[in-house]
Amino acid sequence: MNRDQSPFRYLGWHALDVARGPLVLYLVVSAMLSFISWKMAQAMPVVPTPDVFQAQTADATLTLAVLLATAGIISADRHNGWYRAWFSKPIAPWWYYLQRWLLGLGAVLLAPVFLGIGQVIVLKSGTGITADLLGTIALGYLLIGSTALLLAHVTQREWLLVFVLAAAQRGLAGLVKLGVELPSYAEPVFKALPPFHLIAPEEPMLTGQPLLHVAAYGLAMLVAALVLVEKRALGSGGRA
Amino acid sequence: MIQFEQAGKTYVHPLTRKRVVALEGLDLAMQRGEVFGIAGPNGAGKSTLISLLMGFLHPTSGRVTIDGRAPRTYIEAHGIGYLTELVALPPRWKVPTALERIATLAGVPSGERRATVTALMERLGLTEHAAKQIRQLSKGNLQRVGLAQALLGEFDVVVLDEPTHGLDPLWTQRFRDIVESLRRPDRVILIASHNLDELERLADRVAILDKGRLQRVVARPGSSESAAMRWRIVFEGEVALAAHLAAVEPFPGIANGWRAQATRPEVSRALAAVLGQGAVLVECSPDESRLESAFREAVQR
Repeated sequence: MNRDQSPFRYLGWHALDVARGPLVLYLVVSAMLSFISWKMAQAMPVVPTPDVFQAQTADATLTLAVLLATAGIISADRHNGWYRAWFSKPIAPWWYYLQRWLLGLGAVLLAPVFLGIGQVIVLKSGTGITADLLGTIALGYLLIGSTALLLAHVTQREWLLVFVLAAAQRGLAGLVKLGVELPSYAEPVFKALPPFHLIAPEEPMLTGQPLLHVAAYGLAMLVAALVLVEKRALGSGGRA
Repeated sequence: MIQFEQAGKTYVHPLTRKRVVALEGLDLAMQRGEVFGIAGPNGAGKSTLISLLMGFLHPTSGRVTIDGRAPRTYIEAHGIGYLTELVALPPRWKVPTALERIATLAGVPSGERRATVTALMERLGLTEHAAKQIRQLSKGNLQRVGLAQALLGEFDVVVLDEPTHGLDPLWTQRFRDIVESLRRPDRVILIASHNLDELERLADRVAILDKGRLQRVVARPGSSESAAMRWRIVFEGEVALAAHLAAVEPFPGIANGWRAQATRPEVSRALAAVLGQGAVLVECSPDESRLESAFREAVQR
């Protein structure tokens, strides 16, 4: 039998899963937010400009949006035993999951596009999309999404663990910003945790050392997650 | 083609550090062209053996290779037709979609995918279930979907774990025909099953596992006359069969019936002797298959 050996042969199915999952949800939420901004424009004399509205929305929803796009990519397969069907076929697990993860990034980047189109339609304004905003969202996906991918090796509820970690890290960062001296045990924990607090869509895009910090941290976790997929046993028991 | 060399797997509980040996010192080789069976009671290590072969678990000792390569390396390059004991697919997928997705992963060219899936669904009696989601299938139908996905891709290695689990007698028979049709000189088929009758009919050799160890490998039944098996022999009237066979005892509940443990030539000689003395034979048949005899001896239960 002639075999289709293209490494991208499953990409279409992955794209369908992303379109039917997080992408539809982003579309619905964007429509709702556009409706809210239209109502606000009718009720209030001054409303946020589209770029501010986009940044505020991204700030409030980015973690959730990334978790929607990444949760279960590995953990659902492992927990349900579906991996046995996928990975008896000629495909490398790391590549299979990387493709799905990258499509999640595409979906998250489309969320502000949907919202921008909504703004254009209801407010007859601009989209409010800026390069800084898209850059920050992509950076946020790299950091939060790779944390989720890595933690999927530990728990089936990696989304919850990422949420708790992000809240704890941002809490500690808030204390540091206020000038509170962290206890000696909390200092290394704060430094070791992913720098979620640096992802701030309402601020200008990171540059220099903070940008390097976030990018290197995210990439390192992504690579670690994919190496673990290859090296660690996918099963945990004879039938698992 | 498939080689287990002193392969072992020990599970260690992460908290209590309690160790459970699932498989120990397994030496086994399977060649292209053969159908190889794995038999054993529950907990014998059959599923662990298959997980090691699929690369889903790593051996804690020894090594497992397919065509000289580590299982995952081989599978990522060539793939394996694999039917799991418990067929697991996303519950909301419709049957044809599930099979088309797996056909994609298996490398079935896009132009042939739909036709391949349709033909396979027809062959396995799944056409009438095309509109159903995976979660709506009965156990037997789900098993057939599992078998269908294993057959996509025409791989050189086919692994079937409890393949007739949940199948009715009709489909059990059809499954045997399918396995026979899968035989190819360049293909190895591995079947793990509780069903000794099934293995006896299909496999060229059967490895019997118990308590994580290989007890013995039995060659295709009928190929040897030297193995003793259990017989049921019934005569009309009393016959002194014990004078001609060493391991013989009255068959419980059958008048003038005997249960003998003997080889075919031994039984033939004994029967010739008593029939020559005027005895009338009512029945002489294996009371259990040679594989069953070997299995019973191997697991000592």
